[in-house]
Amino acid sequence: MGNINFNDENVNQDELSIEEHLILVKEKVTSREEIIRKLGNMLFENGYVKNTYTQAVLDREIEYPTGLQARVTGVAIPHTDTEHVLIPAVAIATLENPVIFNGMGMPDTEVEVDTILMLAIHNPKSVVSILRKVIFILEDDEALTKMRFAKTKLEIKNIMTNHIRSLANK
Amino acid sequence: MYKVKIVVVCGSGVAMAMHAAYKLREYLEEEKLYVHIDGSGNNELPGRINAYDMVVSNSQVTVKTDKPIFSAIPLITGVGEKELVEKIIAKVREIQEEKNSDK
Repeated sequence: MGNINFNDENVNQDELSIEEHLILVKEKVTSREEIIRKLGNMLFENGYVKNTYTQAVLDREIEYPTGLQARVTGVAIPHTDTEHVLIPAVAIATLENPVIFNGMGMPDTEVEVDTILMLAIHNPKSVVSILRKVIFILEDDEALTKMRFAKTKLEIKNIMTNHIRSLANK
Repeated sequence: MYKVKIVVVCGSGVAMAMHAAYKLREYLEEEKLYVHIDGSGNNELPGRINAYDMVVSNSQVTVKTDKPIFSAIPLITGVGEKELVEKIIAKVREIQEEKNSDK
């Protein structure tokens, strides 16, 4: 990444797509690989990432796991290098039953994850503003709880976009 | 006043270090502590670590160092964040005092 240059905060910010066709609700899977493949395929079939993306996410998850224990639940934020991404997006899944991710920064720990935010980022600086708002949902107990119990893709999309809007002035 | 230099590290540098760094900077500025913060990918850290006083990382730091290392995870999840920020603030003050009395 190189230096964080705080003077770059005003670089033109790109949108981060949060769309119903990138959302899975109460998905039934039995492993983290299965859900990463499903979300990766959705991103690929809709033209957001290259065909190398999903495998790159799976490989990176082994070296740098992304399970995070928030207050409300376990959340994972699988992602990979920018070269595999065409259009920045977040694919979201909630799970019927949790799967195990290893802990970010603590690869020996296991986190039971039932909410997945899979990030497709092509240029961190150009999406940092909105990406930060997406990640802030880990600390927003109310929004994260609503998302876990949402029954439709539209509900999940609205919860995330309302959450982002509520941080508009941050 | 000596400006403490902090490097915030993440796996490949896809924005998570940036998120943690922005939050940390806000907390420190509230305490009127003005520091220099850079982000780094984990792979670049061995070549860069000597330029910094402190490491805040969301991946395991494998390079051998006697510099203080803090986890960035509480800044991402909010769990244990207050305690972490208090520890970092205390360490920043300690380093500032050391460096200022060296002069």
